[in-house]
Amino acid sequence: MSQMLKREVVYAITGIVTVIMFLEYFFFPESQAWAEIIRTWSVIIYNISLGLGAVRLTMAHSMNVQRRRENWAFSGVLLAGLAIMLLTGLAGYFMTGQQTNNAIYNWLFNWVYTPLGATLYPITGFYIFSAAYRAFRARNIDAALMLIAGCFVILSNAPVGEALWIGFATVGEWFRFTGQVPGMRTFALVGTLGMIAYGFRALLGKERGFYAGGEE
Amino acid sequence: MAIIVTGRLMTFILMVLTFIVMYYYMAINKEEEYNIRTLPAMTAIPEAVGRAAEMGQPVFWTPGISGSLNDSTQGPQVLAAISLLEYLTEECAKAGVELAAYCPLPDAMPLVEETMRTAYLRQGKPEEFNVEQIVFISGQSAYLSGVLGYFQRAKPASNILVGGFYYEAVVIGEAGNTIGAMQIGGTNNTHQMPFLVATCDYMLLAEELFAAGASISRNRDELGSIKGEDIMKLILAAIIGVGFLLGAAGITIVADALGW
Repeated sequence: MSQMLKREVVYAITGIVTVIMFLEYFFFPESQAWAEIIRTWSVIIYNISLGLGAVRLTMAHSMNVQRRRENWAFSGVLLAGLAIMLLTGLAGYFMTGQQTNNAIYNWLFNWVYTPLGATLYPITGFYIFSAAYRAFRARNIDAALMLIAGCFVILSNAPVGEALWIGFATVGEWFRFTGQVPGMRTFALVGTLGMIAYGFRALLGKERGFYAGGEE
Repeated sequence: MAIIVTGRLMTFILMVLTFIVMYYYMAINKEEEYNIRTLPAMTAIPEAVGRAAEMGQPVFWTPGISGSLNDSTQGPQVLAAISLLEYLTEECAKAGVELAAYCPLPDAMPLVEETMRTAYLRQGKPEEFNVEQIVFISGQSAYLSGVLGYFQRAKPASNILVGGFYYEAVVIGEAGNTIGAMQIGGTNNTHQMPFLVATCDYMLLAEELFAAGASISRNRDELGSIKGEDIMKLILAAIIGVGFLLGAAGITIVADALGW
């Protein structure tokens, strides 16, 4: 029974959903009641998975705290954070009817969560530098060509580039807006075909990953 | 009134043609033998697992956080990453190597869990599967912090970064380089490909990501769909070439037809 649920029922649901979406997109964009129901359901299922995740997270970390496992204090912080955000969100909802219209909730989100995220983002710049340093080494002819193109693009973006030679801006822009376009479009095209092939295999039940692996 | 929505006729024709060509090579043309070139990134997976076994350190896998399974461009990449996870888990189970799966996508979690559980079961080692191998961290920054912290604590020997990535591609890739991990990357997101190419030892670029499973399994149906994909690639290249030449001569019939 579990194997049947895992495969045949999933095949059937995949097929039905695909046909409905296909018909809606190509033939009946105005009468999209069924397609709309499916889209709504996908959002509902996604949110149920979030809810289940929250329950499971609470259970796992409560166990960590209860049994004083390694780094249990972090689990405690996580549980406290979860409880605070949940309670302030719910309190705001009961008081104003709007979940996020709550001073404490907004303060926590705007002045704790967002700055923490914004703090992490700039490290990308440093990592791009170190990745570029590794990539821009003329080990062979391809890497040398990339190095030359990269130098033009960098100098076209940096003010000093134009100060050195006005042509850096023109050449750099050509690389960015013309030279790289055929390559990127090729990737986009073949990548899309790959996605269609993957979808077609999934539709026919030939793609193992889509069904969480093959037979046990 | 047009039967097919205006502006979508050519998309419909190309899509149906793609399905027909793929189906022909998958199910009708039974005589021809299909070959697929070996993808270096896929042959490197046993090497990555072997390295981890020798060093006594774990293997790390993540599908990126670019979008949920619902997302039409990111979802298939995540599913392809899960296909690869199946193979990776089996290799890890065979070699007795710990595999850490960091999945920041809540809707992909059940698939990841079931895929890993099935892979351990198929290797006859269901007792070795531990659900705590799979870590879920919500939110891009929190997920990145968790991964970077894990890298510093566990120092995985090999990292498999395959799926839909945004800016975490360069951060995870570079952090992996810092700890000296062997890295295999793969994505269909053109804006993140350069970062993975720069930071990984092996790479699955664009369609290779979706063909990765077939290159290992050599399953005839899967290879047939890839053969069909290649034929469609040639047809599309021909349309683009003819359209370009005609366009240069001032004849816009191909460009106009694509807009029907």
